[in-house]
Formats: sequence, C-alpha cells, structure tokens
Amino acid sequence: MSITRLTTNGLTGTKYDTVSADNYYMEPIATTLLASSQATISFTNIPQNYKHLQVRAFGKSTTTSDQDLRWQYNGDTSASYSIHYLLGNGSGAFAAGAANNTLIRANSTLVRSTYTSVYGAVVIDILDYANPYKNKTSRHLGGSENNTSGQIILDSGCWYNTAPITSILFYPSSGNFDTYSRISLYGLKA
Amino acid sequence: MAFTYSKLASTTVGAGGTSAITFSNIPQNYTDLVLKISGRISIAQIYGAFWLNINGTTTNRTYRYLEGNGASASSGSGTNTNISTGEGNSNTANTFANVELYFPNYTSSNYKSWSTDSVGENNATTSYMDMYASLWSNVAAISQLSILPESGTILQYSTATLYGIRVEL
Repeated sequence: MSITRLTTNGLTGTKYDTVSADNYYMEPIATTLLASSQATISFTNIPQNYKHLQVRAFGKSTTTSDQDLRWQYNGDTSASYSIHYLLGNGSGAFAAGAANNTLIRANSTLVRSTYTSVYGAVVIDILDYANPYKNKTSRHLGGSENNTSGQIILDSGCWYNTAPITSILFYPSSGNFDTYSRISLYGLKA
Repeated sequence: MAFTYSKLASTTVGAGGTSAITFSNIPQNYTDLVLKISGRISIAQIYGAFWLNINGTTTNRTYRYLEGNGASASSGSGTNTNISTGEGNSNTANTFANVELYFPNYTSSNYKSWSTDSVGENNATTSYMDMYASLWSNVAAISQLSILPESGTILQYSTATLYGIRVEL
C-alpha cells in the first residue's frame, strides 16, 4: 500500500512516491571490525546515491580513561566544525558547545581498557550528507556504562562545508581503538 | 525477516518556503513510523522549534524534555505542540537542524507515545538540543502528521522523510 496524498502547501520540488512501500531503504555500506587495536577507522569513496547516512559504533579505548570518538570529513583538518553536547553521568546533567573546532566528537563513548569486555555505543545520523546547499549537521545518541561510572549523551556537530561527504575518518581522542571495536556505515535511500 | 526503513514519502521545500509539511493517508500496515527532518525556519532567533499536528489536531498532548543550550542543561514539561528544537534563521547560514521522531505502534488502540531526538547547530557556543518524550492521549491510529514552524515558515532546502518499519513475525 502507498501513501495516496501528500500535501505541502505550495511547495516546489516535492518528491511523491507511488512505488510499492515494501522496499528496503536502509542498506549497509561498509563495516570495520577490528581483530587488533588500531589508530583510525576510515570510510572512503562513500556512495553518493543515498539520502542520509547512519553510523553505528561499538567502541573501546586502549587507554585507562574513557575516550571520545572523534571524526573528520573529506580529510578536512581545519577549524571548520562546531560541536555541542548534552550529557548525564548519573550525578548531574551538563551541556557545552564550541565553535571553530577541528573535529566532531561523541563524548566518552569509547570505554577505557580497565573494564575488560565493556564497550560504549553510539548511533550517529548525518542527514542530507550529499546535499550541495547544506552544511552537514550530525546527531549522536549514545553512551557507556562500566558498572562503576558512565554517561549518556546527545551530541551534535556541524561541518561548515556544503560539499557532499565522501569520506569519514574516525579516531579516539587518545590511544587506539581496542580489539573488537566496530564501526558500521549505513545508507538510507532517497 | 524484518522490513527495515521502508520509505513512505519524502519532501524537499522549494523556493519561498512553506507553512507546513503534511503526510496524509499514512499506510496502516506498518508497526512503527520514523520521521527524519533536516530543517530550518525563518524565525529570527537561534532557537526555532518545530511543532507537530497529529490527525489534524493539537489537543490531548503532553511532553517532557531534556534540553541543552551549549552552556547548561534544563528539563521541563508542557502540553502544547512542541516536538523538537529546530534551527532558527539567526544561526550560521546554510545550517539545518537534525531531528528524528520515533512512533512505535502508531496504529494500536492505545494512547500514542513517541520519542524525539533533535539538534540544531550553530558555529558558536550557543545552540540547542533536546530529547522529548511525548504522549497523544488518543486511541486513534495515526494517519496524518503535519510539521509546522513555531513561527514564520519552513525554509527552502528543508527536507522531511517518513519511514515505516514493519516486523514480520
């Protein structure tokens, strides 16, 4: 069954689908699962025929402190990003933001090596990643829990560049990704 | 085999903007709905909320939220039509909010609950992000969703995509 009516109050450029709704619009693009520790995980030559991207990360740090999952787009290491976060750590709720950053991050989602077999998790949504009229805003929902401490986060980031995203480089704020960390990239079709 | 993210409809706002984006006659043969919005509204401020009408109504609505503004966290509740933070037109140009609403069991004969995760962005310390837990105290199935700006219009290049998720038991 398809939607039979879509009203948009005078819009132009509206795409109305009459094809069968039984389609599979979320597809895996690539996954990296580490057999040993590694400094970075990257996705290159990202297909441009999707509407949105979703990243699902399951990560652990090789250091003795929780680390941020960080990333940059298209090899851009310049101060062309902003980041904001909202987090709770079991004791309180906090928020902060920063402009003109050199990276985007998901706070403390890589669990320290101290807690064996414990990993953090985050889902990152990048909408309209290939749209040439938009800067690229990402929303990150995740956290970590190690039976002693942890936090839940809603982060955001923006890459102030209207170029389509063709590559993403992920890395920890310190140390390496530990063994069995996994980052998966999915595309949601247009 | 589960059906993941079947796209039901999508829209892109054209030149001149729009007062609302409406998805009508939503198919009733899915389990959950997911609505993804990349949007910006014309209000001349940093914070610009999206509102939601369900089946053409704004009544019997309650919500609780957790919000960050780039400096502090707050929480509150309300009974109006707010669903999320958006992106006001005082934010950095060409920047759009990233919003997701999840409606589980949207056709059930129970009251309808949904969750919202939403972020605006701005190349400055101040920017808004929210998590909402919302309730529509109505047993009717959801057949129409309308997204509106709290004021002004939804701007060109904003997009909204509605997905259906169906579990095959």
